[in-house]
Amino acid sequence: MARRNDLEHKALHLIANTGNQGVLQSELWRNLDASSREGSRIAIKLENKGLVRRERELFSGRWTYRLYPKRQPASINSIVNCPCLMCPDDSRCGAWSTISPNDCEKLTEWILILVQRETNPSGET
Amino acid sequence: MLPLVDDETLVKVAEAFGSEEAVRIIDVLKEVDETTDDQIAAQTGIRLNFVRKILYKLYDHSLVALRRSRDQNTGWFIFHWRLQPDQLEGFILNQKRRVLEKLEIRLRYEENHDFYYCYTIGCKRIPFEEAMELVFRCPTCNKPLMHFDNGKIVNALTKKVEQLRKELGE
Repeated sequence: MARRNDLEHKALHLIANTGNQGVLQSELWRNLDASSREGSRIAIKLENKGLVRRERELFSGRWTYRLYPKRQPASINSIVNCPCLMCPDDSRCGAWSTISPNDCEKLTEWILILVQRETNPSGET
Repeated sequence: MLPLVDDETLVKVAEAFGSEEAVRIIDVLKEVDETTDDQIAAQTGIRLNFVRKILYKLYDHSLVALRRSRDQNTGWFIFHWRLQPDQLEGFILNQKRRVLEKLEIRLRYEENHDFYYCYTIGCKRIPFEEAMELVFRCPTCNKPLMHFDNGKIVNALTKKVEQLRKELGE
């Protein structure tokens, strides 16, 4: 049972890392060092839990499944460069505090970069 | 519920902890079930006290878990560390909520104030009320203050706030 759960975790992690491309069920089991029977059972289990999507695909003349993550993995991209992330002054920062987002220079710099990206969208987030 | 986090996000979170060392420590932790700080230090070549400092920082945010055992020979405690990827999603959501809160404060401030600026690099924008008291002279360089259109700032902030609200399902 422990092995099954462990494999489930690893499988989900691998599928999450493939993003929109998905991964062939057969490839996945090879990477996990599991048998195909063990593998397809876990794939069905993940599908039943609503974590992955399985789509039939003809590969090298044989029908198999391609697995895609159903939910997008949690992403930190939208705030990754924001100085408020992990700011050491966070607990002292507020609208009416001495340290405030209103006149924080680091935050201003970051906002100006956002403005620059808005005007020149070639530099992606 | 099984966590859904990719390696790239894991690395970015480690980077958010402010050091390249945190990335290396997380790299070691994600490959093993459990390991000691001694082993991490040996594997990464990072000084033991620095390894511990980063591990405790990660522990403060529940991103790693800790188990303590006693060395039979020396009687000293051995700390066993384990990555908790299931906490990562919660950590990211919390950080997003926190950042959103700050950006909303700033957005309200930008929307509710008129700014004046001397257009000199290094000087600050001054809100109208303050600029009036200063007779529209920059307190830093003494140049005349002119109206500053913050429309683009409001626009960019509004978009970011909307994006975060959407990501948080608000």
